[in-house]
Order: sequence, then C-alpha cells, then structure tokens
Amino acid sequence: MPDEKLFIGSHAPYWHNGSSISAKSYDTMLAALPAVVLGISQYGAPALGVLALSVSCAMIWELIMNVAMKRPASIGDGNAAVIGLLFAMLMPATAPWWAVVVGTFVAVVIGKQIFGGIGCNPLNPALVAIAILMLSWESMMDFNDALVNYDFGFNMIYPLAAIKSFGASAVSDYNTVGLLMGQQPGGIGTTFGLGLIIGGLYLILRGHIRWEISLSFLASVFVTALLFNLSDPDKYANPVFHLLTGYTLIGAFFLATEDSSSPVNFFPMLLYGAFAGILTVLIRNIGAFVDGVVFAILMMNVANPLLDKIRPKAMGKGIKHA
Amino acid sequence: MDLTLDQRRETNMELKTEKTVAYCLAAILLVVGVVCYAAFPQKKPEDPIRIMLKSAGGTVLFDHKEHASEDGYGLDCTECHHMWENDGTKPEACTECHTAEAEDDMPKLSDAFHKQCISCHEDDGTAPVECSVCHAF
Repeated sequence: MPDEKLFIGSHAPYWHNGSSISAKSYDTMLAALPAVVLGISQYGAPALGVLALSVSCAMIWELIMNVAMKRPASIGDGNAAVIGLLFAMLMPATAPWWAVVVGTFVAVVIGKQIFGGIGCNPLNPALVAIAILMLSWESMMDFNDALVNYDFGFNMIYPLAAIKSFGASAVSDYNTVGLLMGQQPGGIGTTFGLGLIIGGLYLILRGHIRWEISLSFLASVFVTALLFNLSDPDKYANPVFHLLTGYTLIGAFFLATEDSSSPVNFFPMLLYGAFAGILTVLIRNIGAFVDGVVFAILMMNVANPLLDKIRPKAMGKGIKHA
Repeated sequence: MDLTLDQRRETNMELKTEKTVAYCLAAILLVVGVVCYAAFPQKKPEDPIRIMLKSAGGTVLFDHKEHASEDGYGLDCTECHHMWENDGTKPEACTECHTAEAEDDMPKLSDAFHKQCISCHEDDGTAPVECSVCHAF
C-alpha cells in the first residue's frame, strides 16, 4: 500500500545547496551579536577584551590541536570561534585573561578536539569549560562577587542568587521589561533577553537550530517553575522570572541546540529539551547551585545517545539469523 | 559524479578564503583582546560600590554606595569610619587595621563589623537585624 509519507529521492547527480559549516558558524555569531553588543555597551572594554581574547584563543587552541594531531587546519569552519564566543558570553566581564585562556583550552581541547573534532563531541564544549571554571574558581564565576565595582542604576544583585537567598519576595525588586532589556547583572552576553530571543528566532528560521529543543526547554522551565510557584508562592519565583534570568535564554537557543550533543529525532528532541528544563528549575529551586542551566544541559548531553535510541521503526521486517 | 576541474578549483578557493578569513579574525581579535586587557585594567572605584564580605555564616553583600549616598541612607563617612588616611582626606578602609584574627586590643574584622552594623541597625529601628538578611549569600 503506498505511503504518502515516504521520502522520495532522485538519482545523482545532486546539486549542493550552498550551505556550509562556516556559513552556519558565522550566522550563529551574527545571531549572538545583539546580546554581545549590549554586553559591550554596558561593561565596555573589559567585556570586549574577554570576548575578543576568548574567540581568538579558541581558534588558536583549535589550530594547535590540528597541528599536534597532524590534521588539516579546521579553524576555517568557524566552529572554534563560535565556541569561544559562547564561552565568553557566559563569563563575567571581569574574568581575568588566564581564565579565558584556560577556559578556551578546556572547551576546545578537552570539550571537542580529543573526541575527534567537530561533530564528535558528546558534551557542549562551551558548557564543559564553564562547568569546570564554576567548580574550580567559584568566586570568579559568582556574579555578585565579580561585578561589585559596577553600578548601572538598576538592581545589581544577581537575580537567581537573590531568589535563592530571599525567596520570591526578591522578584519584586526586578522589572520584567527591564530583565528582557538586559537590566540585570550576569554574563556578558546572557542578560539581554530580547536580543537572545531575536537571535534564536533567526537561527530557527535559517534552519541552524531545531525549534523542538528550544521550545520544549523553555516550556518545561515555565511549567516546572509554575508548579513550584503554585506549591509555595512565597518561596519560589514565578515562571517568567525563571525564563528571563540566568542562562535560560542563551541555554535554550545557543547551548542546548548544539549539533553533536543534542538528539536528531523529533520525540527525543522534545524529551531532551523538556528534561533539561526540568533539571534547570530543580537545581535552581532545590539544588545547591544558583543557576542550573549549565549542569542540566550537560546531564542531558550525557543522556543524548540514549534518547536518540527512540527512533522511527525501520521499514520492512527484520529477519533474524538470515 | 566526480567534480569537474573547475568545480574543484572553486571549492579549494572557497576553503582557502575561509581559512584566510579565520586566520585574520583570530589575529585581529587577539590584538584587540590583549590591548583591552593591557590598556583597560580593572580599576576599583575610589569609593567602593558594593563590598563582598565572605563569612562562614553566609556571605554579606554590603551595599556601600546605598549606605553612603545622599539618595540612599545618606550616612556620613564618620558614622562608620573612625580612622582617616595620613593626609586626612579619605577614610581608612576597615581592613587596614581590623584583620581576620584579633590582635592585642584590636577587635577582629567580623567583631568590628558586627558591632558597627548591628548597633546602627538596632538604633535605626527600620533596618534589618536578623542574621540571615545580611548573611544572605
């Protein structure tokens, strides 16, 4: 019986549609630009220093590994630059130069190259680096501590630390529109919610990231936070607050969607995003860490091969011992 | 079907261009990064904005600006600072004399802070006096 859903293929020769990894990388960097520009406009030269050094160091580490492993130079594909950029976006503007050098080394060498390079990394490289820095230099990655010398006229207490310490009453100190417009302390490129959403939508429309992961991640952060909020409105912040603070938006559009560490099938993508969202709010609300996005996505990166085992049934009938 | 010679040349040219762009980007950004770090080192403002006081009982994020500015609580420097730098223009930082451990007659830093903050908060009547409100992080 004919099935209308069958994929119809035609004979070779095929025509390349012109897409390339480098185009995707530069598109991702373009999508991140609004958030990055706001970060630079707020923190000035120190933020630019972290961003520029991080992108260049990530590319240099990639080149060093290419030479060391006698492989063709792969920095032309722009993937290392994207890793460097995302890593810098997650960092505070006050990060010392050596932290950027060490972080990009961890991201590119330990997070990606030792697994075989692009497409082979089981974990998001930028997140591996941030997780290691968070565990190794806690105070450097604590935004309250790192940004003590900055004052922009809005509440400069890191929102997620505030709700962890003071409960939901701290939410009223922040303005929702302000959070969306970047009026909150945080990583260089993580605070401008609107910019990240626009960048994310651009990537979805260009087909570079899958909407299933972003949407399920955001929806599950919202629903889980809502359930916590309903159970104890005095203790747990409302879901919109969770969506607009910390690494939620950059996680949904730029981190969880990384190609090689996220699933490829429809249902696994939804599960991946949903579990990452649930874990994020669980870590934030009842875990030890202030923000859960980093460890939630890394946990789901680990579960990714298992999730991708849920796949459509192959056509035809399998014959054992054929 | 194999690529024609022209197509191969075109692909090689594209890869070469990509690499050249990447090398240039890496070099330019390295220079920008080094210049930013070297020319704009992190500077502490003359008057502290916030001070992170690490403590086993919970870190205190002390908003110095809020306490000192006219728009905030408008406290005079001398209400907390009782020592002045040699030239007499600027109050001495608490940590100049009060250290983590008590020395001779000098109260240790945590005792000095407790005495200073709690007594003022109690006198004020509206400022928080519960431990967890200041030792919050």
